[in-house]
Amino acid sequence: MTADRLPDEIKGVMENGVPVILATCSSDGIPNATIISQVYYVDPNTVAVSFQFFNKTSRNVRENPHASLCLNDLLTSNKWLLQVEYDHSETAGPIFETMDMHIEAIASATGMSGIFKLKAADIYRVKSVEKLAGN
Amino acid sequence: MIPGVIVEFLGRASVAVAGTRDQNLVPHIHFVSGWQVSEDSTELTCFIPAKFTDNLISSLEDNGQLALTVEQIGPHETYQFKGDYLDSRPLQEDDLSIYEDCRERFVSACLPRFGIPEDVLRRYISKPSLAVRFKVREIFVQTPGPSAGKRLVPSEGS
Repeated sequence: MTADRLPDEIKGVMENGVPVILATCSSDGIPNATIISQVYYVDPNTVAVSFQFFNKTSRNVRENPHASLCLNDLLTSNKWLLQVEYDHSETAGPIFETMDMHIEAIASATGMSGIFKLKAADIYRVKSVEKLAGN
Repeated sequence: MIPGVIVEFLGRASVAVAGTRDQNLVPHIHFVSGWQVSEDSTELTCFIPAKFTDNLISSLEDNGQLALTVEQIGPHETYQFKGDYLDSRPLQEDDLSIYEDCRERFVSACLPRFGIPEDVLRRYISKPSLAVRFKVREIFVQTPGPSAGKRLVPSEGS
């Protein structure tokens, strides 16, 4: 199943606390895969990704906006593949404030308080969404 | 060459994912259900389930670039291996024990953290169908913290 906007059922997957995979590519064609703590639902066509340490990812999407996300639902074994495009970054405002609060909560819960620190909310446009059914 | 401490890490790590990119520089994610270091520690083979093989071989045959990120769930110890595609083959009988070992490490790591039944966690790591071999060119630290992004191999400055 492939769609061009986020279905409602994906909101729960984004809030399940399971890390998310983010792949990007530099302008000279080197892919990069990283594991991030969370992706945030903004609206059916937009997600936000926390920019904390992964400078390579941040640099890549500013050179080449294409990115891919994989969301994980451990309970159903479903995985969600999103093709997205970097649009802009926010360092203040409601999206940033919400993400900052969540990241601090995740950091406290995982013993990483003081290490996880939000630098910006990177805003991505959703190009496609594919649900890969579990076994 | 993959340093001994990293080979040891690969033996205790519990989850991995691969990234490729196509001819339009669009990246693609491929979930990995197992991994193996070559005897001379210069190559890695990753085992990939069929449902994560879209754009995989076409991208690798186009440009050969592969990134593999491996994490030990819990301490968050994470490294990214970047390299050049060598070849791929269907999964063989001998590969199954590697897959099963990696799956059990994932289950053991997730059980105390997510409160999800063991059989449900076990289902999450799909049986692979394809083995992809690549030569490791660079290794980067991705453990969250101030060293994230640091290149280990070749060492920075070399």
